[in-house]
Amino acid sequence: MALVMSPKDFATATPSWWCPGCGDFGVLASLKSACAELALNPRDVAFVSGIGCSGKISGYLHSYAFHGVHGRALPVATAVKVANNGLTVIAAGGDGDGFAIGAGHFLHAVRRNPNITYIVMDNQTYGLTKGQSSPTSDLGYVTGTSPSGNPDAPLNGMAVALAAGGTFIARGFSAQPKKLIELIKAAIEHPGFSVVEVMSPCVTFNKHNTFAWFKENVFDVTQIEGYDHTNKQHAFEALTADGKIPLGIIYQSQRAAFDDLVLGDTPPLTTADVYDTGRFRDIQDSYR
Amino acid sequence: MILNNIEVMFGGQAGDGSLTTGDMIAGVFKRMGLEVYTYKDFPSRIRGGHTNYVIRAGTTPNYGMADFVDCLVAFDLEAVQLHIDEMRSGGFIIFDNTDEKIPAELRRDDLNWYEIPIGKIAKEDLGLELVRNTVSLGVIAELIGMDPQILRRDVTNIYKRKGEKVVDINIRAIEAGEQYIRDHFASTPSGYTLTASADGDRLIMMGNDAIAYGSLVGGCRFMAGYPITPATDVLEWMAKHLPQHGGAVVQAEDELAAVNMIIGAAFTGVRSMTATSGPGLSLMTEGIGLASSLEIPIVIVECARAGPSTGLPTKTEQSNLQHIIFGGHGEFPKIVLAPGTVEESFYLAIDAQNLAEKYQMPVFILSEQALCQSKATLPRLSFEGVEVDRGKLITEPVVFGEYRRFAFTEDHVSPRVIPGTEGGMHLAPGSEHNDGGVITENADNRKRMMEKRMGKMETARPDLPKANLFVSPGARVGIIGYGSNRGPIAEAQDRLNQMGEPVNFLQLKTLWPFPDDDVKAFIEANDHVYVVENTYTGQLARLIRHVVGPIEKLHDVRKYNGRPFRPIEIIDAVRTGSAVSLAGV
Repeated sequence: MALVMSPKDFATATPSWWCPGCGDFGVLASLKSACAELALNPRDVAFVSGIGCSGKISGYLHSYAFHGVHGRALPVATAVKVANNGLTVIAAGGDGDGFAIGAGHFLHAVRRNPNITYIVMDNQTYGLTKGQSSPTSDLGYVTGTSPSGNPDAPLNGMAVALAAGGTFIARGFSAQPKKLIELIKAAIEHPGFSVVEVMSPCVTFNKHNTFAWFKENVFDVTQIEGYDHTNKQHAFEALTADGKIPLGIIYQSQRAAFDDLVLGDTPPLTTADVYDTGRFRDIQDSYR
Repeated sequence: MILNNIEVMFGGQAGDGSLTTGDMIAGVFKRMGLEVYTYKDFPSRIRGGHTNYVIRAGTTPNYGMADFVDCLVAFDLEAVQLHIDEMRSGGFIIFDNTDEKIPAELRRDDLNWYEIPIGKIAKEDLGLELVRNTVSLGVIAELIGMDPQILRRDVTNIYKRKGEKVVDINIRAIEAGEQYIRDHFASTPSGYTLTASADGDRLIMMGNDAIAYGSLVGGCRFMAGYPITPATDVLEWMAKHLPQHGGAVVQAEDELAAVNMIIGAAFTGVRSMTATSGPGLSLMTEGIGLASSLEIPIVIVECARAGPSTGLPTKTEQSNLQHIIFGGHGEFPKIVLAPGTVEESFYLAIDAQNLAEKYQMPVFILSEQALCQSKATLPRLSFEGVEVDRGKLITEPVVFGEYRRFAFTEDHVSPRVIPGTEGGMHLAPGSEHNDGGVITENADNRKRMMEKRMGKMETARPDLPKANLFVSPGARVGIIGYGSNRGPIAEAQDRLNQMGEPVNFLQLKTLWPFPDDDVKAFIEANDHVYVVENTYTGQLARLIRHVVGPIEKLHDVRKYNGRPFRPIEIIDAVRTGSAVSLAGV
């Protein structure tokens, strides 16, 4: 019988550490709703996060949650899926976690295409260390570590994901919960690596990319005439065009998932018989 | 001269097939019933550069190299130039003089010279230059009396995959080598009578294969790794075998990913391991602290090579010991095991899997290039008493709210659930947390959590592999060592005993938590103790001094030129009795 779940079933008793008004509240609320609407069972959800304000999110989702080291959520999440492909595996992190210290793992996760979901909560700043520039900060962004203005051009993570062979690339805005819930649901249901970048404003340190600024500067990608999200060319143009930021499912395609390729017909590794040690006695015959 | 104990060295350029030929001769010696040890000394490149492969065979087990080389097969002049000083007086050099001649100043009159146009025989008589290695096999076989039947059978078995023609030309190559000696040289060098007992039910195995095999038997079903010399063999072995036994292997994008992957799989309930060497260990250090903080069982195989940085990528050293024990920010528990032989590599790998899960912490298997990439003969591995003990793993549903993943218990080990278990949902954070996994900076909780995690090392202590103590009657001098030095130390001990200068030997197998009591008792029982290790700074000696203080009866014997000890170097150090002896320099 299918479970009937409510977002509350995914809540924990742990009080949030986020600042009042933080965009991350919108991401968490949408994630809980998406899990409930998909009728997931918390015991079968593994939720992995990295470090930073975004990394705190794993403490607030009732599940088997893992709060690891900075930038390494994706290797952990990939292996959780390989170890037990019966689990729903979701990873979350910020722009620093995913595009700076963990950028290498991001690329390789995209390339491998494991059947997991990655939510990047992008606030274009380093919140937890009090407002330094991040890989997605605007050029010229003035911070404590860039007093003359950020000299680094921002990284277009979703365009990178597309170039690296991404199979599900979406972007949401934490102030648009209804749309975000649908994006996260579609991402979880996608059979492969799904990345959802959520524009999630930092109300404390980023005084430029605010809720008000985003409201003026985002649009739904479906508003582009004739847009086909299975067309790579369309997706690349939308992601790299100057001007407003496109939201929605930007690109989706299908290819074999990493865990399926690695495992083949192997049942979840957690069910492998480890106790019958004697059956390995004969391997040594090849060393005679 | 020692009868029935020979060290053969093949020297030439990397890629010229001397490794294959060396493996073949090792197999023949083994099937002749001899005990074999091999040591690869090769450059960090695929083609070119001097390489040599040492095969030692004797009637008693050898776990290391001899004092000198008895037989050098030199495929070029460089091999003679580099190794002539390592030759035993009375030994013999087989030199391929097709393209080069031995200059007069290089000659030693105490050696037997066999200058043979091996390359020319292969190219002109047999029509295939490639078989010059096999010609050299025939030469050696004739000179030292290798069993011709076994040699032919082995060569046939190795080449039969490549077809009858390839087998045929290699057999003819052996015959050409044998015939050349019969035609051109009157007698064979005296002293080497390699007649041995029947082969029996024995194995010949590389240290890395033994670690991988033991890990599979010990229940490991997930491995992630990044190729690095000299550890790659473990990843390759597991990639071949794990999928056949319900497991999986992932080649990660780097060591940061590899260690986090095994943490992820272990968190999910699958016994997991990685294998790396120094540079990879540096990258994994962050993740190892995470695993220990989260009380997740992982096994890290460290196949040490000479550092720092890239160092000598294909040479042996024991200089990662203190990195393994003390590396990482913060303080956290871990267990470090060090096998001294191929056989011990297998059994300790099983222990490592059990200890990691029972005590929910990282366990290291520390090997070194001179052991992990060496092959040795060993008795058939025993499966008696081999069990998988999953400790406090819970597979039944638990009551949410009551269950505490990091519960304080008497033995400091908490019952562990894995994802999918009803009621066990929790957060596992690398930040300090309370017994339920909630992040907290509370001072009392911090103190208790530190004591809980570190306390597990004391809980584990009685369960850890015991040191091997080799006592000689009447000895008041002792030697302490571990890992690949087991071989040269044991041999030095035998010979010192025979000389009437007996020594005791303590071979440590658990290096962390440090076996304080065993080391203290050993030092108390001896008037002088020599600590033998492949480091510059005396890393093991420092650990020992931390336990026993700055006592004068402790002597350091160190070698750090990238090569393993030869027994004579240890014998000389003990007989000299100086505070610090440097070998090989």
